[in-house]
Amino acid sequence: MSQEIESRMRAALRPVAPPEDFSQKLLARVIADRPTLPKPRRIFSESARPLMWWLTASLAACLILAVGVQRHLEQQRLQQSGLEARREVVEALRLTSQKLNLAYEAVKNQSTSLGDEESGV
Amino acid sequence: MSDGSLDLLDDELAKARSGERTALAVLVQAHQRAVYSLALRMLGTRDLAEDLTQDVFMQLNGNLGTIESNKHLGFWLRRVTTNRAIDQLRRRSRLQMTSLEDEQAFFSTEDDADPMLQRHLRELLADLSPPARAVLLLRYQEDLDPADIAQTLDMPINTVKSHLKRSLESMREKSVGMQSARCEDSST
Repeated sequence: MSQEIESRMRAALRPVAPPEDFSQKLLARVIADRPTLPKPRRIFSESARPLMWWLTASLAACLILAVGVQRHLEQQRLQQSGLEARREVVEALRLTSQKLNLAYEAVKNQSTSLGDEESGV
Repeated sequence: MSDGSLDLLDDELAKARSGERTALAVLVQAHQRAVYSLALRMLGTRDLAEDLTQDVFMQLNGNLGTIESNKHLGFWLRRVTTNRAIDQLRRRSRLQMTSLEDEQAFFSTEDDADPMLQRHLRELLADLSPPARAVLLLRYQEDLDPADIAQTLDMPINTVKSHLKRSLESMREKSVGMQSARCEDSST
């Protein structure tokens, strides 16, 4: 009984077609309202392009300047340390020469005093 | 919203998503019958059904990107149609089934139409609460099983089953009354 009622209900409740004129109107409306696919968005608008060009150029110039300044400073630092090393070497040579002179004087004095003693004998 | 030519409609869905309008037209044609029938039988009048059908498909236009397959599209359309119809009915007091000008438009007349059963079915639909009516239509019009109906309507499966049971009992009572009336008529 219940299966029979169910099958009769299924038969009665089969989907019905909408009126033809409505179906056509629906299609036209839905298709007309279909949003077109969004175009790939430009990052900058046309009016902002010159500004962006200048901004990019300025950034590149700043970057080049920064690299140049850094290289110059590095070179200066190297030059400074080279001069310092040279000064230290000169100082070391001066001290060495001073000590050698002293030693030479001492040896010379000693040899003259020995000569005097020998001649006195 | 049958599963026939599923692959073909999946392809059409992919094309419609990429902006092809003819593919969208194919999808609308494939699903409009089910959406319109659900709307008509939920709301009771052709004008309201046409408005709701149009609204549902317009809403689909904006949500096409979220639809994954033709099966998903069927589920989405049924869900949106029934939920919107339930909301409309809650705003009104009772279904105005009698305002339908053309009664033939309400039921399928493809084969052995039983006018008495159709009348009882119509009365039953009018008496049911909007969610119970949606359950009945999804079961017998869309041929969904209780689990799918529960998912479509966001309703516990036991509630779906109890709605179906009560609707069937009511129809059975009406059928018994109908048969006894027929017996009386034939005996006189």
